[in-house]
Amino acid sequence: MVVRGLRKRFGEAWVVDGVGFDVRRGEVLCLLGPNGAGKTTSIRMLHGFLPADGGDISYFGAPLRTDAGGPAGRQARSAIKRRIGVCTQDDTLDPDFSVRDNLWVFARYFRPRRPDLARHIDGLLERFGLARFADHRPDQLSGGYRRRLMIARSIVHDPDVLFLDEPTTGLDPKARVELWALVAELRALGMAIILTTHYMDEAERLSDRLVVLQRGEVLAAGLPREVLGGLLGEHTLVLPPDAPERDDVAAWAEREGVPTQDVLGELRLMVEGPQLAAFTTAFPGAPLHVRPPNLDDLFLSLSEGDAEAGGPTRTAGDLRAVPGAPS
Amino acid sequence: MIAGRPQLRALLEWPAWAVFGRNLRVYTSNWKTAVVPPALEPLIYFLAFGLGLGRFVDAVPYDGGSVRYVDYVAPGLLAFTCFNSAFFEALYGSYVRLHYQKTWDGILTTQVEVEHIVWGEALWAAARGVLNASIVALVLGALALAGLIDIALPWLLVAPLFGFVAGWAFAVFALIFTAIVPAIDHLNYPVFLIGVPLGLISNTYFPLPTDAAWMGWLQAMNPLYHLAELIRGGMLGGPVGPHVLGLGLSGLVLLFVSACFAQPLVRRRVLKG
Repeated sequence: MVVRGLRKRFGEAWVVDGVGFDVRRGEVLCLLGPNGAGKTTSIRMLHGFLPADGGDISYFGAPLRTDAGGPAGRQARSAIKRRIGVCTQDDTLDPDFSVRDNLWVFARYFRPRRPDLARHIDGLLERFGLARFADHRPDQLSGGYRRRLMIARSIVHDPDVLFLDEPTTGLDPKARVELWALVAELRALGMAIILTTHYMDEAERLSDRLVVLQRGEVLAAGLPREVLGGLLGEHTLVLPPDAPERDDVAAWAEREGVPTQDVLGELRLMVEGPQLAAFTTAFPGAPLHVRPPNLDDLFLSLSEGDAEAGGPTRTAGDLRAVPGAPS
Repeated sequence: MIAGRPQLRALLEWPAWAVFGRNLRVYTSNWKTAVVPPALEPLIYFLAFGLGLGRFVDAVPYDGGSVRYVDYVAPGLLAFTCFNSAFFEALYGSYVRLHYQKTWDGILTTQVEVEHIVWGEALWAAARGVLNASIVALVLGALALAGLIDIALPWLLVAPLFGFVAGWAFAVFALIFTAIVPAIDHLNYPVFLIGVPLGLISNTYFPLPTDAAWMGWLQAMNPLYHLAELIRGGMLGGPVGPHVLGLGLSGLVLLFVSACFAQPLVRRRVLKG
């Protein structure tokens, strides 16, 4: 799948403005960004649900025209959509049907249909641990199993490309880990997977490549390590809230032009190798903790960037940890 | 965009029928709850209007002569059921699937598109009208065999099929409101401003005087009026042919004009989320 210059406008505001990336078979690409960054809007355009206001999307060498009307437009889209699976952020399971019938009815929305559909559905129920609930209604399942059913349903037609929009939001840690294992399995089957998340560990663990979105634009893209290093620096220094040197360190950082974050009183500095050396010379006795930067650091700095730019208030949830941030 | 050329071809494409099939599958799995109320409703109306009101009205003018009120109202009940069931299904049933169950959001991640959903939902609503009318036909058949009403029984078999045309047109019309109401309570507006009055003034329960020319035109353009008169003509030996033509023409006009609005409006609603 190739995406170039994707744009979408709601009213006057460009919600997605020039997003582009490629995804190959057997690869997990993670779209990462705070709430309101344009992740879900991008995904909705990519799977042909929402018409784009600009840019090109192509699958398997054929263009996906999201705005083409008429029978010819529908037919061209239909051929591509046959090979795409989508697991939306909200559950859209059919409460009128059992778990098994949810898969069965959904498979009827795809043609051509596989001849061994009944056996395939049994296999999916087995693989997703849903076999013993096959005759239950979706609302009798726990959140984690409903998500499993959503994902199982999105691959009932054997797609080559799979979209997972925040697949683990709202799940408990055990259910999340179990879903990660399933995603890894699907990648091993050769699917191209596009996943959105605002969980850092999820993006680090699952993705082969990261695309970081902010205010509808691609801020950085590449291997997770590279993206973090490029945006944040080589190391993160953490100074506890009660450290006596705190104010001096903050003053030093400002002088040296080192970016800092204040997280519940804890001071974090993003530094390169030489700056780390300079720091340890300046504050030899500081109760310091040095660690590699993680996606949390990235998110907090993105959210701060949003706040400074008077960005969308929807990031308020992400800013809660930052004293003095608008809420 | 609130109006546009309707995608007629989408009606013949398989995804429209997959949407229809989904709704049919729900119906057949809940058939017990789906069958009993529509059988009770016409029975209650028949008791109230036919036998209750009919005691005070012995004859109704019809086709140059007059007929008993119970015989007049029986075909009207059948026509009303086709209309009312389809109209309600496309309002409330579709709104629940659109808004509460998010069924359409799920379906739209597949090869199915918005136009297919509009056609599939309307076809299903019309079919629902035919199913409910068939149950009413059974009840009327029993009443006829019991000697309470005097109607041509073979028409009980074909009447619901004509009802499909009227139900289909009114269902697409109803989907316009389903797409624009902000909340389910607002569906009361189309029900009480359009559904209930239209259901009553279409020669279903009583013949409407057509002294003014505009009233005559209104009737000529009303598929439910033609449906009621068509079934009545068949059952009581009155004119049928002109109303077959009238039903076909007025049904197609309503269907086409409604689709011009329903498809873009449903698209807008679904994309807004």
